[in-house]
Amino acid sequence: MIPDPSFFGPIDRRAMLQRSAMGLGALGLASLLESQGLAADPSPSSVGESLRPRAPHFPAKAKHVIHFFLNGGPSHVDTFDPKPALSRYEGQSLPGKLTTERKTGAAFPSPFKFQPRGQSGIEISELFEQTAAHADDLAVIRSMYAQVPNHEPSLMLMNCGDSVQSRPSVGAWVLYGLGVENQNLPGFVAMCPNGYPIKDAENWQSGFLPGAFQGTFIDPQHRELEKLIENIRSRHATPVEQRRQLDLLLQLNREHQEQRTDPRLEARIESFELAFRMQIEAADAFDLSKESQSTLEMYGPGVHGRQTLIARRLVERGVRYVQLWHGAGQPWDNHNDLEVNHRKLAAEIDQPIAALITDLKQRGLFDETLILWGGEFGRTPTVELTGEGKSSLGRDHNHYGFSVWMAGGGVRGGTVYGATDEFGFKAVEKAASVHDLHATMLHLLGLNHEQLTYRYAGRDFRLTDVHGRLLREVIA
Amino acid sequence: MSIGTRFFLLFIVWHFAVLLAADEPLANDYFESKIRPLFANRCWECHGPDEQWNGLRLDSPVDFLRGGDFGPPVVPGDPEASLLMKAVQRTGELKMPPDDPLSADEIESIRQWIADGASWPATMDTGVRSLEQWRTHWAFQPLGNPSPPAVDDGGWCQTPIDAFIFAELARHELRPSPVADRRTLIRRLTVDLTGLPPTREAVEAFVHDSRPNAYERLVDDLLSSPAYGQQFARNWLDIARYSDTKGYVYAREERFFVHSAAYRNWVIDAFNSDLPYDRFIQLQLAADQIAAEEPASLAAMGFLTLGRRFLGVTHDIIDDRIDVVCRGIMGLTVACARCHDHKFDPIPTADYYSLYGVFQNSLERQVELPHAGTSGKSDEAFRLELQKRQQALAEKLASSRAEASDRARERLADYLFAQSERSKYPEEGFDQVLARTDLIPAFVRRWEGYLAKVDADRDPIFGPWFRFASIQTDAFAAESPAVHQQILAESAYHPWVRGVLSDAPHSLRDVADRYGQLFARVLKEHRQPSNEPPASSGENKPTGQTLAEPFLNVLFGHTSPCETPDESIVSIETYFDSETTTQIWNLQGEIDRWRLQNEDVPSVAVGLFDRTVLQEPRIFRRGNPATKGDFVARHSLSLLHDGPPVPFLVGSGRREFAEQLTDPKNPLTMRVWVNRIWQHHFGVGLVRTPSDFGLRSEPPSHPELLDWLAGKLRENHWSTKSIHRLIVLSAAYRQSSRVAGDPGIAKRSTEIDPDNHKLWRMSPRRLRFEELRDGLLSVAGDLDRRDGGKPAELFSADDRNHRRTIFGLVDRQFLPGTLRLFDFANPDLHIARRSETTVPQQALYFLNHPFVAARARSLIAHLHLHDQDQIEESDAVESLFHAILQREPTAHERAAAAGFLAGARPEEPVPLSRESQAWSYGYGELDGSTGRLRSFTPLPYFSGSAWQGGESFPDAKLGWVQVSALGGHPGNDLQHSCIRRWIAPESMRVSIESLARHEPDVSDGVGFRIVSSRHGMLLSQDLKASEARLDLEHLDVEAGDTIDFVVEVLQELNSDQHLWAPKIRELAITDPDTAPQDPRSLEPARAATDPRVWDAERDFVGPPPQLLNRLEQLAQTLMLTNEFLFVD
Repeated sequence: MIPDPSFFGPIDRRAMLQRSAMGLGALGLASLLESQGLAADPSPSSVGESLRPRAPHFPAKAKHVIHFFLNGGPSHVDTFDPKPALSRYEGQSLPGKLTTERKTGAAFPSPFKFQPRGQSGIEISELFEQTAAHADDLAVIRSMYAQVPNHEPSLMLMNCGDSVQSRPSVGAWVLYGLGVENQNLPGFVAMCPNGYPIKDAENWQSGFLPGAFQGTFIDPQHRELEKLIENIRSRHATPVEQRRQLDLLLQLNREHQEQRTDPRLEARIESFELAFRMQIEAADAFDLSKESQSTLEMYGPGVHGRQTLIARRLVERGVRYVQLWHGAGQPWDNHNDLEVNHRKLAAEIDQPIAALITDLKQRGLFDETLILWGGEFGRTPTVELTGEGKSSLGRDHNHYGFSVWMAGGGVRGGTVYGATDEFGFKAVEKAASVHDLHATMLHLLGLNHEQLTYRYAGRDFRLTDVHGRLLREVIA
Repeated sequence: MSIGTRFFLLFIVWHFAVLLAADEPLANDYFESKIRPLFANRCWECHGPDEQWNGLRLDSPVDFLRGGDFGPPVVPGDPEASLLMKAVQRTGELKMPPDDPLSADEIESIRQWIADGASWPATMDTGVRSLEQWRTHWAFQPLGNPSPPAVDDGGWCQTPIDAFIFAELARHELRPSPVADRRTLIRRLTVDLTGLPPTREAVEAFVHDSRPNAYERLVDDLLSSPAYGQQFARNWLDIARYSDTKGYVYAREERFFVHSAAYRNWVIDAFNSDLPYDRFIQLQLAADQIAAEEPASLAAMGFLTLGRRFLGVTHDIIDDRIDVVCRGIMGLTVACARCHDHKFDPIPTADYYSLYGVFQNSLERQVELPHAGTSGKSDEAFRLELQKRQQALAEKLASSRAEASDRARERLADYLFAQSERSKYPEEGFDQVLARTDLIPAFVRRWEGYLAKVDADRDPIFGPWFRFASIQTDAFAAESPAVHQQILAESAYHPWVRGVLSDAPHSLRDVADRYGQLFARVLKEHRQPSNEPPASSGENKPTGQTLAEPFLNVLFGHTSPCETPDESIVSIETYFDSETTTQIWNLQGEIDRWRLQNEDVPSVAVGLFDRTVLQEPRIFRRGNPATKGDFVARHSLSLLHDGPPVPFLVGSGRREFAEQLTDPKNPLTMRVWVNRIWQHHFGVGLVRTPSDFGLRSEPPSHPELLDWLAGKLRENHWSTKSIHRLIVLSAAYRQSSRVAGDPGIAKRSTEIDPDNHKLWRMSPRRLRFEELRDGLLSVAGDLDRRDGGKPAELFSADDRNHRRTIFGLVDRQFLPGTLRLFDFANPDLHIARRSETTVPQQALYFLNHPFVAARARSLIAHLHLHDQDQIEESDAVESLFHAILQREPTAHERAAAAGFLAGARPEEPVPLSRESQAWSYGYGELDGSTGRLRSFTPLPYFSGSAWQGGESFPDAKLGWVQVSALGGHPGNDLQHSCIRRWIAPESMRVSIESLARHEPDVSDGVGFRIVSSRHGMLLSQDLKASEARLDLEHLDVEAGDTIDFVVEVLQELNSDQHLWAPKIRELAITDPDTAPQDPRSLEPARAATDPRVWDAERDFVGPPPQLLNRLEQLAQTLMLTNEFLFVD
């Protein structure tokens, strides 16, 4: 729950909204929002694509995205891509072993049990027992591949579509394409418990797109609103005092505006009113005390349950893109003791993921929310070796083949797409690049990845650059 | 080297003409009827105009012949040898199309077509069609010499600029706006030229200045102010993607640049001293060669060396440099040509790799700059320590280089054999953890480069190797004897090589091993000369040193493939095993940090210096360094030449390149620069894409004016200030921004030219972030105008940094959200023009960020208005309007502001919650013998998330002690243990729940203690890399008792951060004497409904808030006005 966050005392939400609505009534909300729009902003010095909602290229089911990012690289052969052949080769070296970041040795069979789930019979390991109950909602892509077995470039590829150049993140592109439904909340939120993942804020950057499209970072371990969102609370004015200031500001700005014609002036006046309301709306969005006990229990007690439940509350309020990182650094990077570590990590998110799917369905949000699960790459089917050549009981990075899954809006549930080789080293059947995944995600949101372009440095850029093919079989 | 006065693209024309041989009509029909439709239907989806998988494009003959990553798709006349055939027949590794094979008929058509010569009719494809456009494109034309048109302006024009503007307005039946009033003018001019608002005094003086040249004087004053450089330099820093940090680097490397401040200060000084723009460019590209006599100029080369590090990948670092130079200086998007010929502009891939070669042959080196500071004792101490650290690096680097080279020599056979399976060794950018025993990919590539330059047929040493290497693996046994015979018969080959190959090798590995044995013998002999000849087989008996020499050259020569180059770690980090690389970087980091930590020490530049042994650049097909194509010469862009470009002659060619860029005959550089200056003043340039003057750019709104200005730049010896002056003195610049006057004219103007392209008025502009922050500091009387120096944190919690924003820290890795929010230039990218967004989070900053509130407080204090009761409200209102907006309030504003001040006094803040009040945060010492606290001192400073000793952490005096919501850090000794204290507000029974956790698995952990003022030590537990529950079921406390949660350092101060956020819970007291016996009401009423909990995490707060008073609120409100943010 969110306790009284600072010195305000309890805020009467209704009273505040009434007050701000008064301020706003005088301005005419509809016309103001209009004036923020792209077309309605002819100001010569404004490059300003606004955050106003925009129609997709074609009708689509999904309106929001929740992306579970298992940073560090979850092992596909221990989760969603069973490889019984590894048991047969246990202790032996595998034919066609590929070069990865570190040295690996013999085949390393998964210590986790797989079994077919649901009607579709998708095999999922015991690590995601609760998620597996929703197997018929999942489209598992087992033939993903990336470019290099290093975290940094692979994070950039998965999040921004280019492993080298500084490019806008997927969330930024989606905001650029679709705008924001709820102006009182950031449209793109990245949550990561206890700090930043590797590559920090670059993972949710706006790149060459305007700064307004960047992700807003939130550390869900905090419970106080002012630690969650920058500048959301004043430490030098109460809301009532602030309202007085805004009323005066409005008078001064109106007088200034009388002799000028510049839509930016109106947009900025409106932005103060939006900001004032955001202070209340944000507090509400992050206040889990409003959730029922049964909901809280369904998501579970840890910080992952908490951030997943917040994600649902945000999506419910029209937030476009929510990324849920597993934690600071790269928790899933289990070079050692994979059995122990993967078990612990999966246990932290399995229940929240299953709860989210159930909860979204109950609220009628499942069909309009695209859920994506995955890391920046997978892990080797062979065991990693220590410097002395001994088994570390872990797996190295593997970009040649790995799994992600999608569920929700527009996704064909109960699907398995593509395959890795007999051992899970390399995607061999219907190999799917990260660009293909991005093209498909945009498609599910009603955006054509070839049409969503932005002119920068003399050419039109796309999230998928010159690549990307739709993975049609995962689309319902 | 000549640059054509005619800007023709003969080379390009010629380049395409070669590939477009005419074909027979019959073949054309076949192609058009069978093959093109087949390609279009079955292939273009992935190999067409939009996508080129594996680099292959099947919609134009040029691209088709060139082929993709796997090489040319056909061998004309030979279907069986053609890759395309194998792919469609699905006989090889490639199976195309991937999902749905071609029909037998279709495959047969292709076979037929290839067998007939695979002719492709020479229709004009897109690239060729645009030749005419290239030739006539405005930006590539030589500078014209336009005269200002004669106009009937009724006396409006003030300068020649105005004649151009007026003529264009007249053509569209538009009219200029009247001149702006003086208050507007001085604000506009002062903000434009200095980035600061004018002072109240300056405004009044100008408004009342009756001298005829008052405006000119103002312009000259402002241009000569040091604030001018601090303002205008920021534009260049945007272009130069300036940052004080490298972006993400592996932890081994220091992430701060040592030389960023020197570059930033150089740019500011360059503008203030009006350094000629041609020299400004030349120094940034080649100060090492053109300014040897003025070493301070080396700082200029930060332009090239302050880009992202791209995890050390050379190709990407060079790409970034090519991009920043070509777009920044010439407005050409050359980086497109990294993977393919530019789609729109006349820039072939070969040009890109020519420039690649320039930077490939330019190595980074740190150079200390002349120092103007003190040279006292501290300086000597700095020097000594610096030398010590430099020495350590130099020794380590030398020994590691020697070791690495020795290993490479000893494993010569392995490196040679690796050439036959190079794809196994990752290219740069794939970061593999390498042990000492591994083959090092950098050496594999060095061998590749070495062998590429060897005459494969006739090289005495490696000729035989090439012959064997060309045999297919499965045919080796069969063909080896024949090859072997030829080799023995070839006298060009070295006798020793023929000697070790005296019997036919059975595999390529065998060949490599024999080379290995031979070199090993030479090496052994070289190190321990004996009388035994190194190779002793019969007739090939060697005859001394002369015979060994070619081998020694391979092993030790200048270009030896076994040698680790003698360069900075930044250039050669890939030559070592991972552990060694980390060690060397650490030593380099020690030097960097020593320089960064110390104030007033010599600045450092990182310059580029030419290689002594030059490397020839090669094209990377599709930009992929693993698929190397032809060698190219180093030269500048073909479009700068009449015919084929002339190669650079001196070193890397960087100096020649810089000179070509700034050659007065090159029209791009001057046009681009005057356009940027124009954009600074009018918000948009005459060309609206300031870093793209290519074919896809919009033509200039006033082409002749653009050329006239560029001509003036040349005429005025490249003086930037002279262009500013021309522009701001124009009537066009001095126009009012209002849409006013005759309503008919105003309406027509907004209809005909709503975006004001024709400049029928001045466009109002919004302050960018720097101008906003500097302006707030300035009007509040807080601005610290010191020039230069090292970067300082802009957003520190203590509001200490009052310097101009350009001197603030730009950390590209952790760019503060506030900077992004206000459209600050992304320091990873070249930014030619900032976006301008309006979002509510900006308003939250204005309303709630302490920086803005602090300005309001400062201003009230500086105006001595703090005692509100003593001051007439109208005076206060007037003072604030003057200070913030430099004008009188209107009657209406005066009334509104007075009404605001007259309202009821501000509410008092709601005090901290009762729970928060129970906690305090401090440090002190625990008496081990009594188990009680000896002392408790509150921590003095709140960082925003933790209580600690001071702004910097650790604090100079109090050290590492810190308490945060979730845990903290003990101090350096037992006198500074960190303490979270709870004071019982009344007598009650409580329980304590807590989870103590220490995570790092290093050092010796910390000691957790719970101490009661009444009962002494309650719980004590030392933890290292583990966690424990420290719970207490119940404890009775009296009002005022304390429970202290103390964390002590153990033996070692290292990795002592910990997590510990206890909860104290009030318990129901079930006293059998007083409580009712009825089991249904066992608990006291209050405790049953409202058992209190003190949650350390939840209750954690900083110091109580300080509300702004009414005057301060008014000041803040004025700072929030649109009038403050927008300039008319």
